[in-house]
Amino acid sequence: MGKNRAGGVSATVLRKRLSAVLLAVAFLFLVIFARFFYLQVAEGKALRARALDQWTREIPVVAERGRIFDRNGALLAGNLTSYTVFVRPNAVRDREETARVLAEIFSLDKETLEEKLASSRVSELTVVRRADAALVEALSARELPGVYYARDNTRTYPYGKLLCQTIGFTSSDNAGLTGIEKYYDKYLAGMDGEILYDTDLVGSELADGKAHYYPATDGLDVTLTVDAAIQTVAEQAMERAYAEYAPRSAQCVVLDPRDFSVLAMACIPSYDLNDVPRGDEDLNDLSRNRLVSDIYEPGSTFKIVTAAADIEEHLRGNPAAFSLTRRFASSRTRSVDGTTIRCWSTHADGKHANQTIAEALNNSCNPCFVDMALALGTETFYGYLAAFGFGKNTGIDFSGEAQGMLIPESAVRGCDLARIGFGQSLAVSALQLACAGAAAVNGGYYYRPRLVKKISSADGKISEEFPAELKNRTVGEEASRILASLLEGVVERGSGNKAYIEGYKVGGKTGTAQKFEGGALAAGKYVSSFLGFFPSDDPQYLALVIVDEPQGAYYGSVVAAPCAKEIFEGIIEVRGILPYE
Amino acid sequence: MAAKNYASSEGTRPVRKFADGQAAIPLLAAALAAFGVLMVYSAGSYVAETVYGDRFFFLKKQLAGFILGLAGMAAAAFFPYKKLKKCKWAALALSFAALALVFVPGLGQESYGATRWLRLGPVSLQPSEFAKYGFVLFAAAYAGEKPERMRTFAGMLPVLAAGAGVCALILLEPNMSVAMCVGLVMLVMLFLSGAKARHLLAVLLPVAAAVPLLIAVEPYRLRRLYAFLDPWASPQGEGYQLIQSFYALGNGGWLGVGLFRSRQKYRFLPFAESDFILAVIGEELGFVGILLLFAAMGALIYCGARTAARSRDLFGFLLAAGITAVYAVQTVLNALVVSGCIPPTGLPLPLISAGNTSLVITMVSMGILYNISRSPRPRRREQGGAP
Repeated sequence: MGKNRAGGVSATVLRKRLSAVLLAVAFLFLVIFARFFYLQVAEGKALRARALDQWTREIPVVAERGRIFDRNGALLAGNLTSYTVFVRPNAVRDREETARVLAEIFSLDKETLEEKLASSRVSELTVVRRADAALVEALSARELPGVYYARDNTRTYPYGKLLCQTIGFTSSDNAGLTGIEKYYDKYLAGMDGEILYDTDLVGSELADGKAHYYPATDGLDVTLTVDAAIQTVAEQAMERAYAEYAPRSAQCVVLDPRDFSVLAMACIPSYDLNDVPRGDEDLNDLSRNRLVSDIYEPGSTFKIVTAAADIEEHLRGNPAAFSLTRRFASSRTRSVDGTTIRCWSTHADGKHANQTIAEALNNSCNPCFVDMALALGTETFYGYLAAFGFGKNTGIDFSGEAQGMLIPESAVRGCDLARIGFGQSLAVSALQLACAGAAAVNGGYYYRPRLVKKISSADGKISEEFPAELKNRTVGEEASRILASLLEGVVERGSGNKAYIEGYKVGGKTGTAQKFEGGALAAGKYVSSFLGFFPSDDPQYLALVIVDEPQGAYYGSVVAAPCAKEIFEGIIEVRGILPYE
Repeated sequence: MAAKNYASSEGTRPVRKFADGQAAIPLLAAALAAFGVLMVYSAGSYVAETVYGDRFFFLKKQLAGFILGLAGMAAAAFFPYKKLKKCKWAALALSFAALALVFVPGLGQESYGATRWLRLGPVSLQPSEFAKYGFVLFAAAYAGEKPERMRTFAGMLPVLAAGAGVCALILLEPNMSVAMCVGLVMLVMLFLSGAKARHLLAVLLPVAAAVPLLIAVEPYRLRRLYAFLDPWASPQGEGYQLIQSFYALGNGGWLGVGLFRSRQKYRFLPFAESDFILAVIGEELGFVGILLLFAAMGALIYCGARTAARSRDLFGFLLAAGITAVYAVQTVLNALVVSGCIPPTGLPLPLISAGNTSLVITMVSMGILYNISRSPRPRRREQGGAP
């Protein structure tokens, strides 16, 4: 280009202008470099992390839920191995072929399936639920793209109704909702894994893509302290009582007093764990573990605690305490703080005259226990109530435990103390009372009651064991031994004689409490109960039977004591226990 | 700059002649186009297979364009560019006609809501790709004939009118990004043909004022603008494409994930083989790959500018500068779009992106550029051109 062009701008100017344009382009290149550096190098990691999610689709690898066993290894809750087969329509290569194979293996209608695959707008289509492993194996051999399967965890309970309120059930996606299934869910649940497949935008697996496998961690097995055989015996006894007396409910707990492991917890009516009446209004009534969650006024069975406190105090030299030989006043009534407390008996037959503690227990005479409670005084007696675990949780490994109701020591009046002495004016859970009873006759040791013995993996490796855990002492060995023999007398000669078993040392105490409704005694509504144990010289089995609102008979001695006998006879048979002579 | 080259201009043998010109231009163009064929295959093979059932679908098309382009480039390289001067009206008329034909029902081919293609039997062409060069040729020839024309506003009016006309027709398709491209090229042409600064401003200001108006006319442009400002606000909507481009680039890092190993090309990144091929290149070859590619593209632009600077007449100067400007503007805009510096628009990366019209015409233009670079230079005494 010439340097001078007539009329036009000089070539030098144009070259300068060209250089300016080139410089502008160079500048833009630098901007572009900076921007690419920022995106690729500075932000690269963060962007990649955000992108990772969209590059894969996952197939869940469902962890197998841990199983639940009884103390002897009987399977109480297990899993049915089945599979859910599903299709991701976008990832299907050959719709016709896919529909044909699926229809063939799972006996479905090919046309419907093909239609569904073609029209479906969902990213995932469930084809079959609870498919057999064998069928799924056949399917997996075909290697159909876009067809996946994942294990279902179908919970199965081989014993059906047995121990249903204690074991509890799970939700449809296998989360523990009640009972042991809930309380030990973190062990049972395990951790789901997943398989990540490299896919394209719409979810088609890449031909040369990799699968990243993150295995599931199966749940841990839970072994209960419960003995299925004893549980069966207990439930049969409760079923019989339920059928005979048509109560609202009949329940019992069986403990091993030596370490407070629960051997049985039976609540009737019950339900089948394999067919949980979900949505049923009564589900809470059926599935609640009444023994742990419900409270009631214990009545005469509570006299065991008063007697234990008195005997211990006497042995310790408390002059106010009644000795074993001291006689109680024969009057039917006691007047405390201006209120009159009466015995349930009219005292007309003379049986309730000049009683010792042993006789007072045999006759279940209320005034004697009023005397004992008042003699010990609020501070001492409340000390024993605390030691026997009233007014607080037992600490059992179960959700929804009730604390019971106990008038605070600072607010308690003499008449209240007097009534508590024979089991009124307080409310307890069955478990609380059973534990208190066990701690009274086992030498005076209060353990934390427990339902689970150990947690272990499927290969049997123990991951956690729950040994007996002593919480506190209640009474001394001697007081306990004396009390046990007195309670043996109650069964041999007293109100508990319907629990007597020839050749076995059974001890126990009956209870019949009137129910309160809306602050007043409810006419004709009773709670009949019996707390029994054997052998009384070395208690190994303790049962508390409660029949709530029995129809017809209502005395604990008539309604509940025979149930305890039935349970103990069952245990004797199951465990092969020989008579003592 | 020119002084050193006088001696070499004596050479007459073809080899000398080839070396005499900027041989780097056709070599770089061919190399970039060949690289483009490879990357089009890599970026498009998966979509080609799922959509067309043939993983080589885009490769085959691009390869055909590449061969055609080579032939066209060779022909243009040996066609004396000065003869093009005579075609200026024809080129402009053809450009307008082709752009107008798009709107004739049956000939125009619509996709993504815009009519940008001309269907002629088995081939479809993008007239706007021709028109860019038609305009450049016209402007160069018009200004080259009588350089003094450009000193007056009235004199530069035909260039303005031609540029504005092409822009307007392309806007009607609508294709704002290509129109913007032509507009920028027009400004460069006016600037380099010696238009006065105040005349340029008189053109620039109304155009700058028109941009917001054009954006307001099409609501999608406004949405794109928002999406560009914050793509993460609508990751599934307007921001999607940009985010996917970022993912690709981010995944590439320094050195890339390796050729053919892009993850984003599996349908995550739309237009991976065309407008966003740079993202796939960044993913597979990394920031280093991007730098090398830009080095090559920058070298080509530099060679074009050098050719312009060394040309002996205004027509050659402007034609070379215009061709280079078309290439540079598209390259820069595409890179700015892919990296999210400006709102996303559909603009190919010349020589690389899938698209035969663009590939062939760009290669032909590179042939012309080479021809300008090797044209025998007049002796010193002949300098000065016009009396």
